[in-house]
Amino acid sequence: MDKRIKLLEALRSIAVKTPTNEVEVPEKVVGFGTIEYKAQTCSACKKCIVACEPGALDIDETLNMHDYLRVTIPQEGFRSKNREELVTLLQNLKGDYDSGDVQAISVPQGLPGYGSILWSAEQCIACEKCIEACPEDCLTLQKTYKLPEIIGPIEAFPPKPTSKEWEPFIICFVCWECSHAAADLAGLMHLHYPVSIRTIRLPCSGALEPIHIMTALENGADGVLVTGCLLSECHYGGDSPKAGNFMQEDFVKFWSEIFEEIGLGGRLNIDFASAAMGVKFAKIVEDFTEQIRKLGPSPINVKTEVQE
Amino acid sequence: MKKLFLCTCNKTLTRWLDFARIEKELGNTFESVQVHDSLCLKEGLDYLDSEVSNDDAVVIGACTSQIIGVPMERRLKSEQVSFVPIREHVAWVHKDDKNSATNKAIVLLHDGAIHVDHLEPKTAVDLEIEKKVLVVGGGIAGLKVASDLVQLGIPVILLEPPEFNKDSYVGLNQFMAESEILKETIKGLLSTSKDAEKLNGTITSLSGRAGLYSVDVKLEDGKEKDMLVGAIVIATNTEQSAPSLAKTAHYGKYDNTVFISELATLTSNQSGKTILVAQDPSYHESDAEGSYLLREVTQAAEKGNTIIVAHFNIYTKDENLYRKARESGVIFVRGTLEKVDKKKDQLVCRLENTLESQIREFTVDYIVLQPERKPWSGTRNLASTLDLELDQNGFIKTRYSKMKPVQTSKRGIFIAGNAKTPMNLNDALASASNASLEVLKNAVAEGERKGWIPVIDEELCDVCEACVKTCPNDALRRDGDLIKHIPMNCEFCGICVSACPTRAIEFQSHNKDSWMARLEAIAMNHKKLEGDKPFSLVYACSECANASIDQAGFTGKGYPTGNYVIQFPCAGMISPIEILKGLVVGAENITIAHCPPGGCHHQTGDHLSELVVQFTQDMLTSIGQDPSRVKATYMIAALPNKMQEEVAHRG
Repeated sequence: MDKRIKLLEALRSIAVKTPTNEVEVPEKVVGFGTIEYKAQTCSACKKCIVACEPGALDIDETLNMHDYLRVTIPQEGFRSKNREELVTLLQNLKGDYDSGDVQAISVPQGLPGYGSILWSAEQCIACEKCIEACPEDCLTLQKTYKLPEIIGPIEAFPPKPTSKEWEPFIICFVCWECSHAAADLAGLMHLHYPVSIRTIRLPCSGALEPIHIMTALENGADGVLVTGCLLSECHYGGDSPKAGNFMQEDFVKFWSEIFEEIGLGGRLNIDFASAAMGVKFAKIVEDFTEQIRKLGPSPINVKTEVQE
Repeated sequence: MKKLFLCTCNKTLTRWLDFARIEKELGNTFESVQVHDSLCLKEGLDYLDSEVSNDDAVVIGACTSQIIGVPMERRLKSEQVSFVPIREHVAWVHKDDKNSATNKAIVLLHDGAIHVDHLEPKTAVDLEIEKKVLVVGGGIAGLKVASDLVQLGIPVILLEPPEFNKDSYVGLNQFMAESEILKETIKGLLSTSKDAEKLNGTITSLSGRAGLYSVDVKLEDGKEKDMLVGAIVIATNTEQSAPSLAKTAHYGKYDNTVFISELATLTSNQSGKTILVAQDPSYHESDAEGSYLLREVTQAAEKGNTIIVAHFNIYTKDENLYRKARESGVIFVRGTLEKVDKKKDQLVCRLENTLESQIREFTVDYIVLQPERKPWSGTRNLASTLDLELDQNGFIKTRYSKMKPVQTSKRGIFIAGNAKTPMNLNDALASASNASLEVLKNAVAEGERKGWIPVIDEELCDVCEACVKTCPNDALRRDGDLIKHIPMNCEFCGICVSACPTRAIEFQSHNKDSWMARLEAIAMNHKKLEGDKPFSLVYACSECANASIDQAGFTGKGYPTGNYVIQFPCAGMISPIEILKGLVVGAENITIAHCPPGGCHHQTGDHLSELVVQFTQDMLTSIGQDPSRVKATYMIAALPNKMQEEVAHRG
């Protein structure tokens, strides 16, 4: 999972603030999420571990008694009758669940059928293969991203002084269908918009990968703008919910929230313009430049160029 | 109809049990309650014949099932029978309190009533059996097994190592016997085993199960041959080599240095010689080798020779041999041979007497050495091909040295003779006959096999393979997305049931619900009769532990009432669920009694039950309960007071 590691490294290198909140994963965003584990019915069969390609799951030879005691057994019972019986008996013996400190206990070597699954947020790509493999429905995918756990603490550094000559520098990813035509039209119409942007053409806005956004920011961009065809008019999918721009809209929403958490709020935006909307394109650029101007220069320390 | 038969054991039990009260209390549970004076005698058995029909459920409250179960199994028409040992578990161990003893008998008989409710008819398993037997190794033991089985009409294939030929039979003196006797024995065995098919080759792979193994053999000429056999007997030999002392003693250089197998020939026609017998301190000999050494030196001394034995530890189980050797004039010097020099025709031996801390010199005519005996060099390969365990000396491990001396860790594969440990001729022959009998009894026996088997619920099974991993007998195997039960390999121990996390395996007649119901009923009936008096439970395995508890009865080692023994097929069948359930229904203490360490009749039950108890104790500690309420211990018939010690408190 070279790609995921590179992405996380890039994300860590641009982070300027320790994230504190978990990020909601929008509906269309795949590949990010949290695996919730229900220990009570797990029989430590390790099928999920075998199924997990990035190696995000591992077995822990312990039993978390705390989880056992607090679970509410559903009316129809667990599928695993032996676990249901065990949990019931333990709850019966414990009486008051909240009294005392309930420790996890280790499973003796050579006793099969008991154990816990460890999940690593960093490696998980939310492919759900483990969920399919689990015979006991112990695993479920939650649409949240455990950002604080993944990024870890970030050293705060002093804000950079703003020089008077500073002008925003914005990378604008344009799809080469409508939004690129809109940019052309703006030129044909001799519309004036700020000099701050550099456009990079992509086949479709949906083709933009998060690593490109990170790379732009890492290399000194003060903001990243993504433009695509009007919603429902994507050349690759039209009004299908899986069309490039629909997908990218959710992704940008997701990454904006992550940027908010790591101290780069407002530096990523997506907007849409058709080939006939030269004026709108100029307006989009003007507004975003204004937004960046208000935020000031990027707080990221740009990798200094190699000097002789 | 549910019927209860009680036996007063020739009116002796009435001294300690109130039979009238028992009859009254159980009148509602059973349709009929009968008291007889001697159920095990002819009139008792005839009486049961007339009283019990095929569809009756019967509880017999008498002596232990080990005794009364034997005649009953043949005589009772019904298969739904539960035995409650009111003699060994109640009357004979609670002689001082008739009221409480009667209460305990009532509780146990109620338990018997619930037990019998859950009994299912035994399942007959139809099995394909191959009658042919493969014997690996054509030494004394191998020939003996082949000869025994051939004479019993069982076809035998005798597989010998590729380099083996007819001369090899007498070439090596492996069996610590006189060569004349050895020759005679081999001659006899060769003629009685001549109908066995003989092959030279090595086994390359094994598959299948006991009763139907498929074996691939690579023959001497390079051809492959696969065969179906019902059982395999491994009768490989030992290999002997010169000990490390041989160089010091100039073995091979001087004719005066010989091996112990030549001692008898050496002394047969000469006397008055001085002979030093030296043990190698780096080699740990077996009991057979130690005994052989003592026998040989005694004989040589009796012929008028001066024998000095330089030893450090002569291992024998027969003390008389040592005494006889001393009486015959053998001189024992504790020490190691350090230097040998030739002086004319004699040898000057220098050795340090470690008891006196002095260097001693002996001038002797001969030095006699003991060869080192190791397992046949192909043993390791053979064991890994057949998936067998080895012991620390590299010999093939037996399942249980006392009870199952010729069984290996795999069902349907047996060992005979030197494959197990160095043996003398007689022991090797006896072990071979034993192996032949076991083959006949277990592996190639025809006819129906009946028993309560583990039943796998395919719907509930997650194919997690916990049962496959824990089954000590390879009786559960994964077949695609299913777990398959192989009855011929199964010993009906129930270990798989405790391993299954989902309850996909249930043991016929012993399902989880039946245990729960029995535990609840014991607690309820105890409270009804004994009020708030505490009670304890003993979960005993049906092998050693149960025998020990019976022995406590025979020897009158009494313990307090309120201790109820529940029999499990094997202690390995007990999971934390049964233990916790016992605590939930109100038992003060729970003792899990299993066979002695390493002595489980099903190989792993003792160890597994210890693990389960340790795990349960951890769980109890974690939820703030006292873990000492649960314990595991071993019980064995030879220790009848174990039960008294374990439950000595007022339970």
